[in-house]
Amino acid sequence: MRLLRDIAYVRSGDKGDTASFGIIAKEPAHYPEIVRNVTPQRVQALYADWSKGPVEVYRMDNIEAVMVVMRRGLGGGATRTLRLDQTGKSLGHALLRLRLDEP
Amino acid sequence: MKTVVRLGAGSGFWGDALDPAVELVERGELDYLGMDYLAELTMALLQRQRQRKPDEGYIPDLVPHMTALLPLARDQGTRIVCNGGGANPRAGAERVRRVARDLGLAGTRVALVEGDDMLDRLDELTAAGIALTNTDTGEEDFGAIRDRVVAANVYTDCTGIIAALQADAHVVVAGRVSDNALFVGPIMHEFGWRHEPEYTDRICAAITVGHVVECAAAATGGMSSRFAEMPHMGRVGFPFVEFRADGSAVVSKLPGTGGRVDQFTIKEHLVYEVANPADYRMPDGIADFTRLELTETGPDRVRITGMGGKPPPEMLRVVIGYQDGWIGEAMAFFPWPDALARAEKARETMLERFDRMGLVADEVQFDYIGVNMLHGPAAPTAECDLNEVGLRVAVHTETREEAEKVRRACSNLWIMGPGGTSFGTPIKTRPVVAAWPTLVPRHVVRQQVEILEA
Repeated sequence: MRLLRDIAYVRSGDKGDTASFGIIAKEPAHYPEIVRNVTPQRVQALYADWSKGPVEVYRMDNIEAVMVVMRRGLGGGATRTLRLDQTGKSLGHALLRLRLDEP
Repeated sequence: MKTVVRLGAGSGFWGDALDPAVELVERGELDYLGMDYLAELTMALLQRQRQRKPDEGYIPDLVPHMTALLPLARDQGTRIVCNGGGANPRAGAERVRRVARDLGLAGTRVALVEGDDMLDRLDELTAAGIALTNTDTGEEDFGAIRDRVVAANVYTDCTGIIAALQADAHVVVAGRVSDNALFVGPIMHEFGWRHEPEYTDRICAAITVGHVVECAAAATGGMSSRFAEMPHMGRVGFPFVEFRADGSAVVSKLPGTGGRVDQFTIKEHLVYEVANPADYRMPDGIADFTRLELTETGPDRVRITGMGGKPPPEMLRVVIGYQDGWIGEAMAFFPWPDALARAEKARETMLERFDRMGLVADEVQFDYIGVNMLHGPAAPTAECDLNEVGLRVAVHTETREEAEKVRRACSNLWIMGPGGTSFGTPIKTRPVVAAWPTLVPRHVVRQQVEILEA
């Protein structure tokens, strides 16, 4: 079974109570597979009640990356959240666990 | 008029290293050094400092930073633009003037840029019919938090910085200007651009480049997914930009410094803390990151072309900070064998203690450190008998007294807890300044610039 970690890197951060994850293809050839697999529904399912939603996904065809934006995804934002990872630096790495569809 | 402006990034956050900034000014032949110190969390901390001491609330690092950088910058003809004024730009600018005097740099012109502080104007704004709706949650009842508000700062555009540079400032000390205005301001000033349609794409290019470098080493190998490949991060080079009048730019770093600049490190930062990448909304313009192109033109050199975007938005972002209760937090750690089972038993014991103590909390969160603390429900179940597991608990309460109960319940585990229970240093109970993000029309914002001469 292949995971998103096999084909992509992530940069993770915050803005208010929004978590934002940039998913970057390791190789340009991997980009279509990332676009196919990283959907709002699957992101929401992975993070369950840590993501109050909605989840948005935006394409960046020019740099073979997608932006995943998880609204109300940080437990109230950096100063208010009860999580240790107050600014969501680590949170996006969990997305690399996403299972890829078999081609 | 210049055809290329050279701008370095001298700080990516409050707490960043000084030595890479010193190297940049010494060897970078910079026209400008932009220094970003602020984040939402940082503003809340500075506001608390100002509450305790009215002449504080700026970035304390301004003193050692300017002490080291000012003599070099004056010597090299590099002008410094920073947002280190934080929650008290006037006190920050006065302090920088004193640093310049103490260094014997008479004649140094320190520009104070104000106008981001909206705290005393909130009632005026609501009276004018501005709703101050919370843009994160959609909550409309600003009145519910009004009496607990401790700060309100609007992310301002670069017009104050441009005015300061036109007044021949050597150092600009601003408060909550947008991070990238630290770079957009100098670029617009040098090329004589105005916030008018013919300049929109080029201003958006400056915003894009400002975004890429504003977190300093985050564009040169810091925070990288390819961390193992990044050489000598302990002596990383901060990035600098050669920005051209045609709206293209090269991002690079000094030879001999650690880290790396390549297409990948630039991509990593382009996607950092962005929502819709075609609509990167800043007070100076709305940049579109989805049409630019990256080209590696040499070792540690990446050229960015094709940047652009839309004119500035009508509404500006304001973050209102308000007192929102207390957080109590504690941790304990458990050894193999059966480390997770020990942590689970300790959780049960803590809950019984909370019950006996009559803890009143509106939110209680337990994490298993080493299992699910960072990723919560996204983390799979542990599949082996782990070497060690920690239990972390955090609660949100109305009062300090309630939050303190967490520390007490945790210390009860010294003997009530499972065999092998161990502790680190207790964590201090802390007050919460929560953020209420909102929007105001830009016409209500007025920036003022004042020159303080050393």
